[in-house]
Amino acid sequence: MTNSQLEVRNLCKSFDEGRIEALRGVDLSITAGEYLAITGASGSGKSTLLQLLGGLDTPTSGEVYFENAVLGTAIGLDAYRAHRVGFIFQAFYLLPTLRADENVQVPMLAVSENARNRAERAQALLCEVGLEHRLNQYPNELSAGERQRVAIARALANNPSILLADEPTGNLDSVNSARVMEMLVGIHQERGMTLVVVTHESEIANAAPRHIRIRDGRIAP
Amino acid sequence: MASQLSFAGFAWKNLWRRRLRTLLTLCGIAMAIGAFVALVGFSRAFEHEWLRMYESSGTDLAIVEKTFLNTSLEESVGPKLSALPVVAQARPMVFNLIDLTPEINALVYGWQADSYELDSLTLTSGRRFRDGQPEILLGDILAGNLNKKAGDTLEIQGSTFTVVGIDHGGSALEAGAVIMPLDQLQRLSSLEGKVTAFHVRLRPAPAGEAQDHYLKRAQAQIEAALPGLHAIPAAERASNNQIVLLAHAAAWGTSSIALLMGILGIANTMAMSVFERTREIGILRALGWKRGSVMLLIQTEAVVLGLAGGILGLGVGWGTLRLLSALPQTASIVSASVSPLHLLEALGIAVLSGLVAGAIPAWRGAHLSPVEALRHD
Repeated sequence: MTNSQLEVRNLCKSFDEGRIEALRGVDLSITAGEYLAITGASGSGKSTLLQLLGGLDTPTSGEVYFENAVLGTAIGLDAYRAHRVGFIFQAFYLLPTLRADENVQVPMLAVSENARNRAERAQALLCEVGLEHRLNQYPNELSAGERQRVAIARALANNPSILLADEPTGNLDSVNSARVMEMLVGIHQERGMTLVVVTHESEIANAAPRHIRIRDGRIAP
Repeated sequence: MASQLSFAGFAWKNLWRRRLRTLLTLCGIAMAIGAFVALVGFSRAFEHEWLRMYESSGTDLAIVEKTFLNTSLEESVGPKLSALPVVAQARPMVFNLIDLTPEINALVYGWQADSYELDSLTLTSGRRFRDGQPEILLGDILAGNLNKKAGDTLEIQGSTFTVVGIDHGGSALEAGAVIMPLDQLQRLSSLEGKVTAFHVRLRPAPAGEAQDHYLKRAQAQIEAALPGLHAIPAAERASNNQIVLLAHAAAWGTSSIALLMGILGIANTMAMSVFERTREIGILRALGWKRGSVMLLIQTEAVVLGLAGGILGLGVGWGTLRLLSALPQTASIVSASVSPLHLLEALGIAVLSGLVAGAIPAWRGAHLSPVEALRHD
């Protein structure tokens, strides 16, 4: 038993029948409420690590623990993704047929919330990210920065305890990057949420209280 | 105020994003369900009218050959049949479907002039025909379509017949039919000495014997006395005579092909949709949607397609029946009536078609790996 909220032990992930080894025995422990930045070169395995931490994929060997329970066995991956983690992606991944407020409601459709509560919560979250005037806009009517803010609101929809962000500023200009990171850090501090950010940008990584580098599938010393 | 997103609303938005494809798929399933409603509805109405005709004439049993097609039997069987104690009356009959004009065809019945079956008809003008004479009765609907009245003549397959009366029968089949002397139709059909069937009225059941039991006993007695012949209750005969069987087979055959095409249309639409939305399905999985929820979403879309197409198809089918029942070429054998049960059955088939068509795309979508799906371009 550890005090970690998230922990990985000897985590390995390979692709293409073992020909590509993305992760080669990673050990990592993240405590609840921590803000961790992960950096590394392209193909170093940092996004793969984030996907395994978020239960989007399963390791080839080794295990991921959430509050000392093994992901995928003691805790179902679907339930873990629905209730415990919120994802933010570089490409936003908003659903183009849905308006901003409807996009935020999508994760709530997976957890049996009633329709009125879903709509009210979506509105509150969009207000929280400063988009109260853009509720009814479709993604193609929003700027890149606004889309990422909708994605942040969506990640918070089911009130998770962990936010996982994969290059959240990768498609944004410097002004919007700063605003989005300020927002993520603010949410982390106000809600006491664990925040794990994968980034290329050293400025963002250096601002995090804890920063690890991935090199060739391992945590660099 | 934020709008409320429902599961069904989400499914509809997914369908509506490709409006043209969705509309074309709806048209496909609408045509399939329309074909089912029109063709199967027609064949069932046809069977129903046949039964009404038997009921109105008081026929209890039809005597036919004990073969699959039971095409014809010897007319000479008549006296032996009439001599049986259970038989009150046994009358030979022939029926055929004949082109009266290039546009109009009609059922033609050959009856004896003193057949009890004529008693159930109401003559609105003229008189009954006589055996051995080229005389005919026309059903009132057919007479209207042909613009004939008593005293006119009508050429049927090269022979001239005098219309001696216009009748109104108990069923649409009689209203659209020609009735002529048995010998005349035997000659026209090259069936001299042969009949299609004998129609039998039984004597009343003895006191204390149930009608069903009496009917079975009469059947057994007739079949024992006349080996090789089959005594069929009127209700059964209404559903299994050659023309009704042919109508059923054609209706179900054509409808099945149309339904198969409709199912393939939905399956193709859903498969394309799942392929195009691979990344979106990955997003849903990343946001915590279970496989079952993704399957349900895709199946809901397929069922909505099936149901909406089915509702359109009810209109198409009903409209087709109305049109057929109004056209002179088909008015004599097509009734525009469709039972509510048949409409419900059609909607059920439409929904089932959606479920079947959506099953494989839904399974495929639900079993995509979230990571692989998110990487999809």
